[in-house]
Amino acid sequence: MLRKIFLPSILIVLAYGFWISPDFKEISAGVAIFLFGMLSLEEGFKAFSGGTLEKILQKSTDKLYKSIGFGFVTTAIMQSSSLVSVLTISFIGAGLIGLTQGIGIIFGANIGTTTGAWLMAGFGLKVKISAYAMPMLVFGVILIFQKAKSLKGIGYILTGLGFLFLGIHYMKDGFEAFKDSIDMASFAVDGFKGLMIFIGIGVLATVVMQSSHATIVLILAALSVNQITYENALALTIGANIGTTITAVIGSLSSNIDGKRLAGAHFIFNVVTATIAVLLMSQMIVSVDAISDFLGIANDNHTLKLAVFDSLFKIMGVLIFIPFVDKLVHFLQRTIKPGKKKDGEEFEGVKYLNDSVLELPTTAISALTNETKHLYENAFEIITHGLNLKRENIISTMPLKDVVKHPHSENAIDIDNFYNHRIKGIYGDIIDFSTKAQSEMTPEDIEKLYKIKLANRDIVEAVKDTKHLQKNLIKYDKNPNKHIKEQYDNIKIGLAELLRNIDLVSKMTEEDEIILLLSKAKVHMQKYDILANGTLDNLIRHDLITNEMATSLMNDSTYAYDISKNFIAMAEVIFIDSSGDIKNIGEDMVISDEDVDLILEEKDE
Amino acid sequence: MGIKKFINSVKELLGLDEFENTGKKKSVKRLLKKLKARKDILNKVPKKKLSKKEKKELKEELAIITLQIKKGEKILNELNSQNTKNSKK
Repeated sequence: MLRKIFLPSILIVLAYGFWISPDFKEISAGVAIFLFGMLSLEEGFKAFSGGTLEKILQKSTDKLYKSIGFGFVTTAIMQSSSLVSVLTISFIGAGLIGLTQGIGIIFGANIGTTTGAWLMAGFGLKVKISAYAMPMLVFGVILIFQKAKSLKGIGYILTGLGFLFLGIHYMKDGFEAFKDSIDMASFAVDGFKGLMIFIGIGVLATVVMQSSHATIVLILAALSVNQITYENALALTIGANIGTTITAVIGSLSSNIDGKRLAGAHFIFNVVTATIAVLLMSQMIVSVDAISDFLGIANDNHTLKLAVFDSLFKIMGVLIFIPFVDKLVHFLQRTIKPGKKKDGEEFEGVKYLNDSVLELPTTAISALTNETKHLYENAFEIITHGLNLKRENIISTMPLKDVVKHPHSENAIDIDNFYNHRIKGIYGDIIDFSTKAQSEMTPEDIEKLYKIKLANRDIVEAVKDTKHLQKNLIKYDKNPNKHIKEQYDNIKIGLAELLRNIDLVSKMTEEDEIILLLSKAKVHMQKYDILANGTLDNLIRHDLITNEMATSLMNDSTYAYDISKNFIAMAEVIFIDSSGDIKNIGEDMVISDEDVDLILEEKDE
Repeated sequence: MGIKKFINSVKELLGLDEFENTGKKKSVKRLLKKLKARKDILNKVPKKKLSKKEKKELKEELAIITLQIKKGEKILNELNSQNTKNSKK
């Protein structure tokens, strides 16, 4: 309801303002152009953020100080903390970084935004920057029309900078003209009341413009022509910093739980820092004066002093929070929790897929890989219990013959129920997400996505085959015919070995061991070919099993073969493709069916 | 000069194709080293002390490693010949 009234009210107020004051129109147009520039700049940087991004991120965010540095540098370059925040939420959502690193990046981004104030105060207000804007816009637009992605990206960046400069120019001109008709400084309010009023205005302006950067530029433009007092400008800056967290909170609504926690961290950080700044306002003003004196900034140069205040305020906040990052993470994990599920009653949902990771192809693929691993873990449990084995025994070093002697339960589990609750929904969401993600992807990324989709299909098929296999596993488990029981125990042992090997592969980093284990699994899979290896023939010829048993055994060996084949194929995509060195050569080193025959021949010699 | 031709000549000038091959070559070399070391260890296992089943497992592992080494060496040769071709161009 409020949202429905909010937008028309803003539009009406703006229209009325334009009608009564052409200067106000110019200032507003400046803000609009500035914001459009930021959008264009964001679009440009997105074009360059794929590919090696994952590596850079992992290397530059493994320690807190590195995360802060990463946030600072990226925000200083991109001049948009909101883009850095959105990307950070996306990285967290995709599982590329953890919450602690994310908080570090947000701290760094906060300091990074101060570079904008310095650029504007030191350069933007003194030089006629609109002169640079025009050629940038012309070159930028020409490049945007090019087909190559990188040229397009440069085009968007140039256009973005061009619009930023042009926006600043209009804001500055507007305030200068405004000064002649209305003296806003006469509305200045002193004391604590004034401080609170202007903090409120700063919050409101940032919420409306969805950018603290634009608010600070606007404050500097107004301050440069003395339309607001220095003290009120300080209060507006504090307000802008609170306002920006509201933008982040709104942005996190579509994110996963860690994205929401990150927005929570951002909110707590900015509100606590703002409160401290308000409480220590007079001390901070004295400190700003001292730092300005030290840097040689004239006492009446309020715009540069505001930049000093902005930096001091943000650096102080980060320094105060650094010792408490771990506590902050614990607090957020305790207070912002995922929705509770009742066991077996609700459907398990996806962990990594959300709209925030759709921002970049890299994060989308990474999230899909992690979600497939999630699906694999569920399938691993269902298959294990479907075979009536204990998961902890399979992933232990217990001899496989003993593993099959310890059943999971007396009664068979309902695989259909498990499938509906823990596989079907996740699989559906993965397919749905893949369709959404591929619209922004290059052919190479789409190929990777296709492989991931196949891996998911393999997992689902393996679960379905287990369901078919389960029927006769139960039937022949207590059968007095020891020959058929032995055959079904062998199937169980074989599948337990496969599950153990795949589990090892999922945890390993040594590429030679991964390749060896997967090759072994492929070779061992051939034992299910009971027709070719003579097992079935032998059992029938010696009247050891009935015809009905023979048919069941033949069908169930095929199911066991298919489960193995599907799980190995899945592991080759999900675990090889995301593991260090073999990522480069994985496909070339995977053994083919002909290779398996060769190994078997050699083994039998 | 078309944009594709331009990009190709820049790639050639900077040796970007070779860069990709070099990365792959390094990975294969590292893997081969590990596989050969593993083969050496397995070859040194005293076979007389092993049970029939263990002997069979050892034989299988050796067969797999030998095949993987062959595969790795083949990939390495192909990458080397690709690099030679590129440098002759």
